[in-house]
Amino acid sequence: MFTRFSDIDRLFGTMDLLRQRLDSLSTDYTRPYGTRWLMDEGFLRGNLYQSGDGFEMRLEVPGMEKESLDVKIQGNYLEISGSRDQKLPEGYKVHKTERVNGTFSRSFTLPDDVDSTRVEASLKDGILYLTLPKSEAAKPRQITIS
Amino acid sequence: MDKKTEIAKRDDQNIEKTRELYEVPPAVDIYENEDEILLYADMPGVAKDEISVNIDNGRLSLSGVRKLETSGAASWEEFGNVEFVRNFSVPQTIDVEKVKAELKNGVLALHMPKSEEAKPRQIEIKST
Repeated sequence: MFTRFSDIDRLFGTMDLLRQRLDSLSTDYTRPYGTRWLMDEGFLRGNLYQSGDGFEMRLEVPGMEKESLDVKIQGNYLEISGSRDQKLPEGYKVHKTERVNGTFSRSFTLPDDVDSTRVEASLKDGILYLTLPKSEAAKPRQITIS
Repeated sequence: MDKKTEIAKRDDQNIEKTRELYEVPPAVDIYENEDEILLYADMPGVAKDEISVNIDNGRLSLSGVRKLETSGAASWEEFGNVEFVRNFSVPQTIDVEKVKAELKNGVLALHMPKSEEAKPRQIEIKST
């Protein structure tokens, strides 16, 4: 039935498109009521990428300064907490407030132990980047065959 | 009718479409005072050059594309590259020339000043 790989690829693409349509349908539906199901659970969304000697983690933290973020690591346990507190601008009338406010915390269990002394964190365009090198014991080791 | 050719035709049209980015509406805050309308939109991961703001005939459209490079195998992914898109109706009284936009920490702040005629005016009552 499928003679080329691109046929299969296109089939999945079409399914994605359908999902996208359905997604946009549900956001259209919820928007007028001001509830944001997706965003409420979606704040501080994160991605984890793994390579041989470490992890790279990305978290969405729009509008946060580095002073208001707190990153803690112990072994393979990672905790991110902070508070986002947007002041209502003085003398303005409010039409809409959809952006999340308040304190939050999220913890992760990483697949391996991390060398906490060499962890680096940076903040760019509202995304927190964490570089987490694996601890020596957790690193993959080359085995020579005798 | 040859069904085969019809199917092939549609396929050709769809090639581009299936590749498009997810469109996501950004969360916004909108404030207003006597001088301006102020809008904040959360667009984490969007670089300055990837944002476009258009005001045309009472319609404001925001668009920002997030393009992040990835490396390594993804263990889990909760967000990806998306296009933040949202449209609003704005009053015609916005002074389009003076609209200011700033991007800081992934938040777009849009200051839309009202034109002079649209501002409320204090009327002095004269006693005769």
